[in-house]
Amino acid sequence: MIQRRKAVLAGVLGLAVAMLSGCYESTTPTMHEPGVYKGKQDPLRDKLKGNDLQAQLNDRFQRAAQDR
Amino acid sequence: MARMKFLCDAERCIECNACVTACKNENEVPWGVNRRRVITLNDGEPSEKSVSVACMHCTDAPCAAVCPVDCFYTTTDGIVLHDKDLCIGCGYCFYACPFGAPQFPEQAAFGGRGKMDKCTFCAGGPLPDNSDAEYQKYGSNRIAQGKLPACAEMCATKALLAGDGELVSDIYLKRVMKRSGRPDTWGWQKAYGSGV
Repeated sequence: MIQRRKAVLAGVLGLAVAMLSGCYESTTPTMHEPGVYKGKQDPLRDKLKGNDLQAQLNDRFQRAAQDR
Repeated sequence: MARMKFLCDAERCIECNACVTACKNENEVPWGVNRRRVITLNDGEPSEKSVSVACMHCTDAPCAAVCPVDCFYTTTDGIVLHDKDLCIGCGYCFYACPFGAPQFPEQAAFGGRGKMDKCTFCAGGPLPDNSDAEYQKYGSNRIAQGKLPACAEMCATKALLAGDGELVSDIYLKRVMKRSGRPDTWGWQKAYGSGV
């Protein structure tokens, strides 16, 4: 009987702690730097760092934009 | 480092709208959205000229300066792109842009503008290059494939030039010297500053 009471008490305590922790709200504001891009990184950025793609684009421009 | 730029040679543009069609076809742009359009100045007068206008990928992009959620970024070669997952469709960029480039599909409920859409220089967006997700959200990524924007490559008179700014201005200056005209780099000073 005593063991059952202890188990119920432990259960109630556990439930109370769980409920109270659910009520917790962080009061620390999220600070954002204005003017700084916050989205996903574009894989194209890395590709453009190398000179290969740029050379390919320049070559294509010279062929496409010149008068025939 | 290259700096990608658009230049429309107004002396050559014949207002055929092939660039508009090429852009729509390449990117499957939603109905009602025009990433590129042809504007005719002094229509019907002897000084009539047409220019093809889209996002000019400005050096100090005003759209990025006013964006409240900072969804704009610039690639290493100067292409101004944005993340549609961050965009809230506020329309500030539309008011800030001197070229009227930002477009809104207006498919949201209660007259909401929807996510902003604009010319990407055919460079897609911040998703894996040439993936289905990127194509559906931002359109084609020709730059990653080593190709230039479809509008410029489709231009029959080669009025619309898209590429590294130095190469573009080289070709344009040769043309101006050949025809003994005056350079009229429409929109360049506004987009790229007084040093161009």
